[in-house]
Amino acid sequence: MHLAIKTIATFCLLVAPVLVLGETCSNPQVKSSVYTTTEAASSMETVFIVQFALKCANSASNLNLFADVNGRTFPVTRSEDNSDYLYQVSFSDENKNLPSGTYDVKFYDEDGYSNLRKAQRSGDDTSSVQSLFSIAVQHPGVWKGPLVASEIVALAVSASVFYFAYITRSKLQSS
Amino acid sequence: MKVLVALFVLFAAVFNGNLADEDSQARLLASKNILNQYLVENKDLTVEYRIFNIGGSVAQKVRLQDDSFPEADFKVVAGNLQAYWERIAPNTNVSHSVILRPLNFGYFNFTAAEVSYSSGEDLTERQVGYTSAPGEGGIVSFKDYNRRFSPHFVDWMVFAVMTLPSLGIPFLLWFSSKSKYDTTKPKKS
Repeated sequence: MHLAIKTIATFCLLVAPVLVLGETCSNPQVKSSVYTTTEAASSMETVFIVQFALKCANSASNLNLFADVNGRTFPVTRSEDNSDYLYQVSFSDENKNLPSGTYDVKFYDEDGYSNLRKAQRSGDDTSSVQSLFSIAVQHPGVWKGPLVASEIVALAVSASVFYFAYITRSKLQSS
Repeated sequence: MKVLVALFVLFAAVFNGNLADEDSQARLLASKNILNQYLVENKDLTVEYRIFNIGGSVAQKVRLQDDSFPEADFKVVAGNLQAYWERIAPNTNVSHSVILRPLNFGYFNFTAAEVSYSSGEDLTERQVGYTSAPGEGGIVSFKDYNRRFSPHFVDWMVFAVMTLPSLGIPFLLWFSSKSKYDTTKPKKS
């Protein structure tokens, strides 16, 4: 009798959460599309948008996923409207906090996310937590306009032409 | 023109009148901001939604739906105008961004998006609220924007070509006569 209760309790503790949380994705195949802010005029902050479609070998769908970028975690949204890319995660920060470069966005399912949070809380190395898959985001940086305005270049060119002509004339006059 | 309005609209959550009950409810505040400095026709427009859960419990099945961008006026470049979060924990926030491209110029009234969610045990009862509305913004035509901000390379090149004859012809005349009569003379420093 005691053993039976123990067995039921074990079942509830170990198996039931897995059943409730639903599926995990095995052997994920990812198709992704990435947008990053490239012009300062179009956004005062750098915005990254990662959209992706996920295909699992065990045909798990509508997963609840989390993304991790440099230690910051974001929940992944779903949109039934978008038939190409069901999932989207977007994050933004000031331009200087997101410089150009390649960002590795790691994705976790519910179990992985709770493991990640556990590792973060206890200060462990988070790289040991297995992510489901990752998407590399290439950010070329934000263009803030030309370094030198074109009118200054034109002014410099005309000044140098004038200088050349002036020097030549004074040389001729002195000879 | 200041498009960014940091105005949060408190959700008129179904008020129970019971303070103890109220604490255990999820309460969402949602904002909708346009991050652009300039709104330009055919250039990216960044819309950011932020949802804060200031309530005492998890908001579940949160759905954000923005129908305020007519297809005739805006093209979606990246992101979805509808987003779904399984849950938003108390005292946390989530953000969502969409990149659009205005197809026309002129004034456009940016209105609120709709957020609905369930709170507590009863998942069938949905609470509906709205984000803040960024308000009216003027979308500049691409031509006007370019006139102000493009480097005008072509214009400057045309200007250079046009000034070339008045500088180049006298120079060439002088240079040819100089090379005709000046060959024997040693060069002066």
